Amino acid sequence: MPLDLDFMIRIFPELFRALILTVQISFLALLFGIVLGILLGSLRVIGPRYIQIPIQWLVNYIRGTPQLVQFLIVYFALPRIGIVLNEYWTGVVALTVIAAGYEVEIVRAAIESIDKGQKEAALAVGMSEVKALRLVLLPQAMRRMIPALTNELSNVIKASALLSVIAVNELTKVGNKIIYETFYFFEVLIEVAVLYLIVIGVLGWISSYFENKVFAYGEAITATEVR
Amino acid sequence: MDLNFMIQILPRLLRASLTTIQVSLLSLLLGTLFGLLMGMIRVLGPRFLHPFVNAYVTFVRGTPVAVQIYAAFFLLPRIGLNWSLFEISVFALTFNSVGYQIEIIRAALQSIDKGQHEAAAAIGLGKWKAMWLITLPQAAQRMIPPLTNELANLIKASSVLSIIALYELTRAGEAIIASTFRYAEVLILMSILYFLMIQSLTEGSNYLEKNVFNFRTSRIKTRKIKQPAG
Repeated sequence: MPLDLDFMIRIFPELFRALILTVQISFLALLFGIVLGILLGSLRVIGPRYIQIPIQWLVNYIRGTPQLVQFLIVYFALPRIGIVLNEYWTGVVALTVIAAGYEVEIVRAAIESIDKGQKEAALAVGMSEVKALRLVLLPQAMRRMIPALTNELSNVIKASALLSVIAVNELTKVGNKIIYETFYFFEVLIEVAVLYLIVIGVLGWISSYFENKVFAYGEAITATEVR
Repeated sequence: MDLNFMIQILPRLLRASLTTIQVSLLSLLLGTLFGLLMGMIRVLGPRFLHPFVNAYVTFVRGTPVAVQIYAAFFLLPRIGLNWSLFEISVFALTFNSVGYQIEIIRAALQSIDKGQHEAAAAIGLGKWKAMWLITLPQAAQRMIPPLTNELANLIKASSVLSIIALYELTRAGEAIIASTFRYAEVLILMSILYFLMIQSLTEGSNYLEKNVFNFRTSRIKTRKIKQPAG
């Protein structure tokens, strides 16, 4: 099947704008998701039982139902409780819900993977539980979260393709619109797939940089000890 | 909340759930078949095939399932395959699942102790025979938990098939919402059905892991029982 390269170049600006929107929404959702995830994840670890259990229910619910169903719920439920947002912010909220659900587990797992002695030592020098979490456990857990969080960001980007069902003009939706206007299936689908691949590939690369260079204090301490 | 309405639409949603389960299970089984094949190629096969398998995995894992479903929907008829919507759906989800299963199977095969291959080679088994008789049975048990995860992912991914109008649970729910506007009831019922499907599959897989695919653990148990007697 010969590809029409001229056509592919011609639609590139339109697809690129949609890609920017996809990345923006995903990134915002991931950021809000991290904030929510660290908050809820910490509560899940040190909070009282009557807070831990509802958080676990929420996480089970988000992980146990399809993202599309959650999008529909956000799409229908927000206006019902009086919050009327445009498509862009509805998309951000919907993706944030999903991202937060998975990130709570990531944060919890990372905090619980830190050696128990660290928490005990922190409590022994008189820190409160919250302070121990903030100053001792979270900074160490942060590094272990990075690979899982990158994974989650690529999941969020892939999930954002579903926002096309609630009329957000992201990459998949724009690609589809072009297909229906021109019937150039092959060219459009390839270009859309390649754009997704590039974004997700670049993310993996950035993440390993962060893991090795920026959040490497754990490693640095061990290195000093060895010397 | 209108309970009567929920009971009234339940049969319709249950019938649609059946489609969801059919598509997901079929895709998982076909995916395991091709995944095993490509996973074994990735571990044992000739080196020149590895980049192709890797490229396939990267492509599947790097693009949204929605794009893959659209691609199957638009391109399969283009190359002359006049498949039904159900067949297209199974193809799209299988295509997606194989990409994830290759990695699951590769990881399980490579996690088996090297001594096992060496012992098999020492008693004169060929590479492929050792894989079939020694490595694969042991790896099978380790594959079960990630494959369950994959099945749960497939059930969730099957909801995306509603964009190409396959009448599965999400599509059925959307259709009811569109005709009655009672989204709260429908969405709650849909969530419960999905949740139950995924939960019961997880339980089933735990059973499989503990009772059917436990060749290794059962052998260890026998050894432990024999020891005090001898």
